Amino acid sequence: MAYEISLLIVMGISITAGLSLNLITGFCGQISLGHAAFMGIGAYTSALMTKNGFPFFPSLAAGMLLAGIAGFFVGLSSLRVRHDFLAITTMGVGFLFIGLVRQQDALGGEMGISGIPDPGLGKIGFLLLVLGCAALVILFCQFMKRSWLGFSFDVVADDEDTALLMGLNVTQFKLIAFAIGTCLAGLAGGLYAHNVRFIDPESFGFIESITVLSMVVIGGIGSVWGVVIASAVLSVLPLWFQFIEDYKLLVYGLLLFSVMRFSPGGLSAIFSKIFTRSLK
Amino acid sequence: MKYLLLSVLFPVFFLGLVHADSVKIGFNVPLTGFAAADGKSALNGAKLAVKQANQAGGINGKMIELVVYDDQASPKQAVPISNKLIEKDKVVAAISGSYSGATRAAAGVFQSAEIPYISAYAVHPEITKAGNYVFRTSFMGEVQGRAGAKLIGATLQRKRVVLITLKNDFGKSLAAGFKEAAGQFNLQIVNEYEYSIKDRQFGPIVAKVKADAPEAIYATGYFFTAGPLVSQLRAAGITVPVIGQEGYDSEQFIKIAGKASEGTIITTSLDRDSNSSETRSFISEFEAMAGHKVDMVAASGHTAMKVLVAAMKKAGTTSPSAIRNAIAQTNLVASTGSISFNDLGEVQKNVQVQVVRDGDFHYHSEIRDQVLLAPPTR
Amino acid sequence: MLFLDLLIQGLLQGSIYGLIAVGLTLVYGLLRILHVAHAGLFTLGGYICVIVTNQTSSFLLAVLTSMILVGLAGMIIYRICYQPILDQPPFVPLIASIGLFIAMEELFRIFFGAYGLSFTELPLQEPLALMQINLKQAEWITIASSVGFVAMLAFLANRTKLGLAWKATVTDPEIASSFGVNIIQVRYLNFFIGSSLAAVSGCMMAVLNNLVEPTMGSVPSYKMLAIIVLGGLGNVRGTLIAAVLLGIIESYGTIYLDDLLDRDSIAFVFLIIALMIRPQGLFQRH
Repeated sequence: MAYEISLLIVMGISITAGLSLNLITGFCGQISLGHAAFMGIGAYTSALMTKNGFPFFPSLAAGMLLAGIAGFFVGLSSLRVRHDFLAITTMGVGFLFIGLVRQQDALGGEMGISGIPDPGLGKIGFLLLVLGCAALVILFCQFMKRSWLGFSFDVVADDEDTALLMGLNVTQFKLIAFAIGTCLAGLAGGLYAHNVRFIDPESFGFIESITVLSMVVIGGIGSVWGVVIASAVLSVLPLWFQFIEDYKLLVYGLLLFSVMRFSPGGLSAIFSKIFTRSLK
Repeated sequence: MKYLLLSVLFPVFFLGLVHADSVKIGFNVPLTGFAAADGKSALNGAKLAVKQANQAGGINGKMIELVVYDDQASPKQAVPISNKLIEKDKVVAAISGSYSGATRAAAGVFQSAEIPYISAYAVHPEITKAGNYVFRTSFMGEVQGRAGAKLIGATLQRKRVVLITLKNDFGKSLAAGFKEAAGQFNLQIVNEYEYSIKDRQFGPIVAKVKADAPEAIYATGYFFTAGPLVSQLRAAGITVPVIGQEGYDSEQFIKIAGKASEGTIITTSLDRDSNSSETRSFISEFEAMAGHKVDMVAASGHTAMKVLVAAMKKAGTTSPSAIRNAIAQTNLVASTGSISFNDLGEVQKNVQVQVVRDGDFHYHSEIRDQVLLAPPTR
Repeated sequence: MLFLDLLIQGLLQGSIYGLIAVGLTLVYGLLRILHVAHAGLFTLGGYICVIVTNQTSSFLLAVLTSMILVGLAGMIIYRICYQPILDQPPFVPLIASIGLFIAMEELFRIFFGAYGLSFTELPLQEPLALMQINLKQAEWITIASSVGFVAMLAFLANRTKLGLAWKATVTDPEIASSFGVNIIQVRYLNFFIGSSLAAVSGCMMAVLNNLVEPTMGSVPSYKMLAIIVLGGLGNVRGTLIAAVLLGIIESYGTIYLDDLLDRDSIAFVFLIIALMIRPQGLFQRH
């Protein structure tokens, strides 16, 4: 079971991370290339706290809070810059985060933080916690999508100018999306830190940001179930791909490319195509 | 005729045996991505040790089966991989041919499952602190850093040193060890500069080092950073000794730096000019098998596997706790020196100093200092 | 003296950034694609250079071959990868491009080995003193080629019919095509020129380091994005200036700012500050 449990934990954390970005990118149209930084803030905060004797759950919450606050400020910058510029700005935030952590000995610097304590829930308990978090996030996203708030998000995502015309407070929605999305990224980070129990700056670098973004894009931007499936599959793909050995990353790269090239709407577009066809 | 028949039948027979009567050893190693070069070399070293052991009759009659997984040097992937090795493949012990992050993350999993785990060349000080089932057959960064200080202060008799430090766990722990021992050898550290593992252009640092005019340069790094660094230092007219470590220990370093590599001195664990038959036979067999020159990583992969195989033979059972105890009592000579562990699972051995001469690594000196080279204990 | 040395080193680094970023900004200016795989073409350029030099022992021939082949590869990437998804939102080609870049890096590793390649006889190593500045030939050529190629580009854009067509297409493709400009041709040409500039950059990087590796494009892949934004997306002159400025700032930063910040994040501090002050980039698009 331990192996299946560890796979499910990886999947659950990825789903939380993927959906947290989906809130920002999918529902609100704001591209982020630095999302891993917020996972990093959650991971570092909670890991440092549990290492210093604080209980697990308050530490996890503190990580979420700090990530959300940081996200709020990055959200402020999204009011100033838009589109491609915003993508690059968030990328910059990502690099700034690891650049700063690298140089701070108090944060473990290059050596990272090891010996992060076990949350004490047991393997099954931790799995249930991770899956529970993922389930709550899924429900929350579904709710957001259906609610009035979600509708407003969609309008902002589609066309900010139209949203303004409709009298929507675009500023407010963007900030809410950023704060909630990054807060949930902090949750994913905190869970990650207490699963792997070793974190270093590179774990939250550009590559991780891209990985999370590809989960969202491959799943289908804005689609909750598409992102859930894509996050679950992509996170364990490198492990399933062991048998193709040398060609593993090559296949992964080509897969990213092919989905975008042949089905830019991601998995959710493929599914809806199959679904409508089968109805006919 | 009898032999011919046997040799035809043997592979078939052997295949049948692999499942029936073999013993599995796990190996996590980066085979794709940025760390693939080191990973492949370490794997080749380990494979050679397995081949040698199987040719010599395996472990008490059982053939060794190596179960290899690519971890891309990522801590995130190392956790499920370790679980898979333990649970699905039922390995009796495992070796890390990977970098520090992945090794540190995996060490925790192996420790809690109480499966012996040996780190072949990862340097992070926290790895063996995972617990009593985790061992390391290579130097800790700090220990090798202290050896570097002695090399510059005592052997080379230089005083003013500039540190050029690679910003990762490898470079940082080496620099920490160096600084710790610097006072002991009256070294004056003029300045320390840091660079990232992705840097290949060191123009600004070289310009500043030139202005500092040190008597020696202690530059941490791997062959792919050290090659460009040393050649840029020399091109700028800096002629003082450059002291490197086992990260330089690859023919690639000499290839990249070309003539500029001449005279570079490194601390490592492999003596190319060794008279030890163990080292000699490893070097010749490895080069025949891999088709390229031997490097430190390959020797480390070979050593770790050799230590494990010897312990398993001695334990005589596949019980992990018996194997752990046998590893802890290891006392053998491998290609990287004589191996025995302290209570933390760290190894104590002499540091080999090699110098680049005529396009090859050669013997320079050896640092034997039981006190200076003592690894931390539990 | 140290001050001057650091300035020169910054200029050198900036020139390499410039060559690769100018090619990228050309692509962005015309098609609005964040073409990350451009860094893969830069790596390809380096590989071709080392291989051809080692086979023919002519560095010049190697650079020309590299420029042509990489230019063609750029055109193929445009045709196969980008053209069908041009009408999609910007992150679609972005992720496609990242996927392509990962695949390219892995192909280099699988074909040429994880250790990378070096020259058997490293060219252009003679020291050359100009105006009391002592650099290797290769370093002079790097600086000269970035200035030279950008000047050539400016000449092409401002003084030739082709350049006019290019500028018209950038400003408004529909009007340009109604005036008889073949937009498709302009796009191919654009990819050809942009990619061959990346090839030059890759060649110079190969000579400066005597090493080409599968991952040599990973730093440029993101740093050049910061540069083209600072330069005002699509603005060639602004991009070159931003690249050189960044090179110089990093050069001083490596020595004086290192306790605070990693060299690779210096670029992004400036990027964020610059964008907060001027959300449209340091230099306006023309």
